Amino acid sequence: MTDQTTVAQSPSGAAEPAPPPAEEAKDARVDPRPKNNRAWWLVLPVVVSVAFTAVIPLMTVVNYSVQDVFSPSERIFVGLEWFREIARDPEVRGAFVRTLLFSAQVLLIEIPLGVAVAVAMPRRGVSVSVALVLVALPLLIPWNVVGTIWQIFARGDIGLGGWAINNVLGVNFNYTLDSTDAWLTVLVMDVWHWTPLVALLAYAGLRSIPQPYFQAAQIDGASAWATFRHIQLPRLRGVLTIAILLRFMDSFMIYTEPFVVTGGGPGNATSFLSILLSKIAVGQFDLGPAGAFSLLYFLFVQILCYVFFTVLTRSGR
Amino acid sequence: MLDWMVWTVPTALVFAGLAVLLIAMTVWGRISPPVARRGFLRIETDRGDRLYIGLISAAVVLAGWIAITDLSMWLALGCALLVAVAIGIWG
Repeated sequence: MTDQTTVAQSPSGAAEPAPPPAEEAKDARVDPRPKNNRAWWLVLPVVVSVAFTAVIPLMTVVNYSVQDVFSPSERIFVGLEWFREIARDPEVRGAFVRTLLFSAQVLLIEIPLGVAVAVAMPRRGVSVSVALVLVALPLLIPWNVVGTIWQIFARGDIGLGGWAINNVLGVNFNYTLDSTDAWLTVLVMDVWHWTPLVALLAYAGLRSIPQPYFQAAQIDGASAWATFRHIQLPRLRGVLTIAILLRFMDSFMIYTEPFVVTGGGPGNATSFLSILLSKIAVGQFDLGPAGAFSLLYFLFVQILCYVFFTVLTRSGR
Repeated sequence: MLDWMVWTVPTALVFAGLAVLLIAMTVWGRISPPVARRGFLRIETDRGDRLYIGLISAAVVLAGWIAITDLSMWLALGCALLVAVAIGIWG
């Protein structure tokens, strides 16, 4: 009975022919024979390398986060003291709110903008290659170079962008003194650097939509907006999931660009979590608090990614 | 050889516990394969999903507790375990 209802309730069931009996049987898990799982051994190299590069270092971070370590032989167990200190530190809390705000702004700007760019990009002819290369260009530039470019570009004295804002628009703009200007510089830089990624993903998604959908829309006399809203956007769900996840994680862990452009300043206006963390870990060499900090950071990234992933992959069912 | 990892007994116990949990789940999955269902989380989960969500929620309870109050962390651990068990059973 169960397999019958599954087939009947599947959303695509109405439009597509029913799956062949073999698939039905697999779905209902009626095959009692044990499966051959030996292919799992092929995953072993990945498991070993991930253990070596991620799991063991993470365990070490956990160990550091509960101790005050001077050397492997001289260390004091402090329990959860570092976690308490970090979780209540106003500087950490400020950086947390700032980073969250930054990620939210990045997603709100880059996702719609990327989709808009993708929709506007040409579909055939030589212009496709030209557009792709132009759009992809910012992605090819190393992070610290992007930082340097914008550090100079936004300067009021020798940078073209900063000079134009000050002298052509007549707005007083100085990202080394004004916190709003610094924030805007970092935000615009991130939009410039990473919107192309969203655009390329969305473009790939748009190209994979079969032509008959558009022909049907044309016959029905659908407007451009209706075509976008009911055909293109739903079909972009998969790539947009990836784009949102990637852009959230990258922007939430942003380090190099603000480090080069503003160094976290002025004051702590652009001091994001990663900048503060590296200041504690590398600048002050407080490995215990830094360990506790990174674990809390990691926990938060885990949760948000899981929530995003779950919401975006399951909402269609 | 593992000196550089600066192990302590409590952290070793936590990781050993996690390892045992994963092995136990594998064995359990082998004996009776997990079935996905919906609970109060309103999403389809099997028991592995609920274990993951439960552990993460427990960590959130602990982190939130330490950020807000000076009450004993043993109490926090109790609450965290309750949350994890509740999610595991009814989630």
